[in-house]
Amino acid sequence: MAQHTLEVLVENSPGVLARVSGLFARRAYNIERLTVGPTANPEVSQMDIVVSVEGHALEQVIAQLDKLINVIAIKEIKPESAPEVHDTQPDYQN
Amino acid sequence: MSQVTGAQSLVSSLEAAGVDVMFGIPGGAILPAYDPIFDSKIRHILVRHEQGAGHAATGYAQVTGRVGVCIATSGPGATNLVTPLADAAMDSVPMVAITGQVPSLAIGTDAFQEADIRGITMPFAKHNYLITDPADIPRAIAEAFHIASTGRPGPVLVDIAKDALQKMTEFNYPTSVNLKGYQPRLEPNAQAIADAAALITQSSKPVFYVGGGVIKADANRELLEIANLLGAPVVTTLMARGAFPDSHPLHLGMPGMHGTVAAVTALQKADLLITLGARFDDRVTGKLSTFATNAKVIHCDIDPAEIHKNRFADVPVIGDLKHTLQALIPALKAALAKNKPDLTAWLRQMNSLKSTYPLGYGQPSDGSLSPQYVIERLGKISGPDTIFTSGVGQHQMWAAQFINYENPRTWLNSGGLGTMGYAVPAAMGAKVGAPDTTVWAIDGDGCFQMTNQELVTCALNDIPVKIAIINNESLGMVRQWQTLFYEGRYSNTSLESKRVPNFPMLAEAMGCVGLSCERPEDVDATIEKAMNINDQPVVVDFRVHRDAMVWPMVAAGTSNDDIMIARETAPDWDSQEL
Ligand SMILES: Cc1ncc(C[n+]2csc(CCOP(=O)(O)OP(=O)(O)O)c2C)c(N)n1
Ligand SMILES: [Mg+2]
Repeated sequence: MAQHTLEVLVENSPGVLARVSGLFARRAYNIERLTVGPTANPEVSQMDIVVSVEGHALEQVIAQLDKLINVIAIKEIKPESAPEVHDTQPDYQN
Repeated sequence: MSQVTGAQSLVSSLEAAGVDVMFGIPGGAILPAYDPIFDSKIRHILVRHEQGAGHAATGYAQVTGRVGVCIATSGPGATNLVTPLADAAMDSVPMVAITGQVPSLAIGTDAFQEADIRGITMPFAKHNYLITDPADIPRAIAEAFHIASTGRPGPVLVDIAKDALQKMTEFNYPTSVNLKGYQPRLEPNAQAIADAAALITQSSKPVFYVGGGVIKADANRELLEIANLLGAPVVTTLMARGAFPDSHPLHLGMPGMHGTVAAVTALQKADLLITLGARFDDRVTGKLSTFATNAKVIHCDIDPAEIHKNRFADVPVIGDLKHTLQALIPALKAALAKNKPDLTAWLRQMNSLKSTYPLGYGQPSDGSLSPQYVIERLGKISGPDTIFTSGVGQHQMWAAQFINYENPRTWLNSGGLGTMGYAVPAAMGAKVGAPDTTVWAIDGDGCFQMTNQELVTCALNDIPVKIAIINNESLGMVRQWQTLFYEGRYSNTSLESKRVPNFPMLAEAMGCVGLSCERPEDVDATIEKAMNINDQPVVVDFRVHRDAMVWPMVAAGTSNDDIMIARETAPDWDSQEL
């Protein structure tokens, strides 16, 4: 299975790590690695999440993550190219 | 600004959010809030079990389209709300639950009546809050109502530490809510609308696959318009009964495990599913890999995470369904003006299935009462404006099948979670939301024994609901599976509820009128008698025969192609031109 790195900006609110890790657990997505760190904005933290999924499952992970109210933005970091910004409309970017 | 308690700030916030009624039970941690509730113009209905408060909030929300509100204390009060919150999440019901929490310094110490209700509800609540600072109360309430009622609706829990309710604060209700991480998309993408319209004109076997989202979006008029415009058949899922009139000639009925042959087959044989606010639930699709294998999919939904979740969508359209249909209708009109597909053969095939395989049932040979007959008569006698709620089981499926729904928000049931015990408290909430409408709960003898205590609440609070217990003296749906899949070994499904309890006496004890009926010739008169009692709740014990089964049926995990219309009886496919 391919590994994908997601850079997730979250509100720095209590429980946000539990929300994110709980989502991965209950939807049976495999987390390979998860790190949390501060950003320049004290109200926002950044989570770097490495997941192993294929194809549409990645879109599902991103869409489900984006449903969390405390998740502000999600970027997929492609190994050799510029980061791909995901919004939640999989096939039509507005 | 003058100083008020956090509790007063909470009640003022609820008033500012437009709450007119809430259902709940007080207790230690939430007690400070109950003092200002005493003076508030908000009607508080004191229930007998918090589960009843939660389902009542759902019933109220499903009927009115507004946010349903329930309130409970910490620990057991809060955990009793877990089932209705999970239920509301599965059926996308806008709900706000307020719970008291132990004082902030006691959190994490296993204090008396401490339960981490935020943690417990995290997996399914649309969002939740733990408030320990009274200054945060107005913002949390404003956000909770905003989140619950916008986008894909859902339940939001606000857990408030007792000391935050007691401390002094300023009441300052926000005029707007701005959440960085939550901006539901209402307007569909123009290209998606154009693609959807184009795909529809290329289809010769389209079906409107209609889910509960159409009702949530108040898009039933738009649905009627687009269905008439295209002239394609329509199926309405369990959550969408009433979204499209059952009397409409294009309506093929309900699809799914207990759907009509015509509705199930329409999805299977379609070349295009125009999916509106539905989510490809396993109870609709049957074995997913064999579901509608030749169909392209247009999937219109407000929740982007539904797209491609169970079924790949050729054209996803994300947005509020009302906006989506309002954009799609003119686009489709223009496209059809250039290229109108001929649907005659398709409609002929579907109408042939509809007339060959109507829903039906056999009358018991011993002259005893047939449950389907009772339910059919309830629908006929009380008419299309009546609101029906149901429990979960055979009676639920018959209520979905044998009552004609003509209007949205007249059929309330627990579709996603399948919560036994939903019917009575949901009927209570529905009647509070629509006091001038007749509300019938069609309940099972098993389900009724889970939540009937709320009839006391109804009796004392002038909430005259009507309950039809379909008493087959068993956990009928489970018994049906035992008949079909466990060689008739009826392990623990006999309730003996024709012996105990005596339902009419139980009803009378709770301040309701109790009636009983066990002969077909008495059904109409009993229903009419119940219809004429409007100053008290009424409970009718319909003592039906216990071997009736729900048909058609697609057995769990099998393909919709293997639908059975009776035991070991498949439709005669050879005689159908498909
Ligand atoms: C809370 C809960 N427990 C168990 C079940 C499993 N279950 C589904 S239907 C059913 C039987 C319901 O019996 P009854 O209310 O008498 O309805 P009937 O099927 O007889 O019409 C059971 C036990 C459930 N859906 N919900
Ligand atoms: Mg029963």
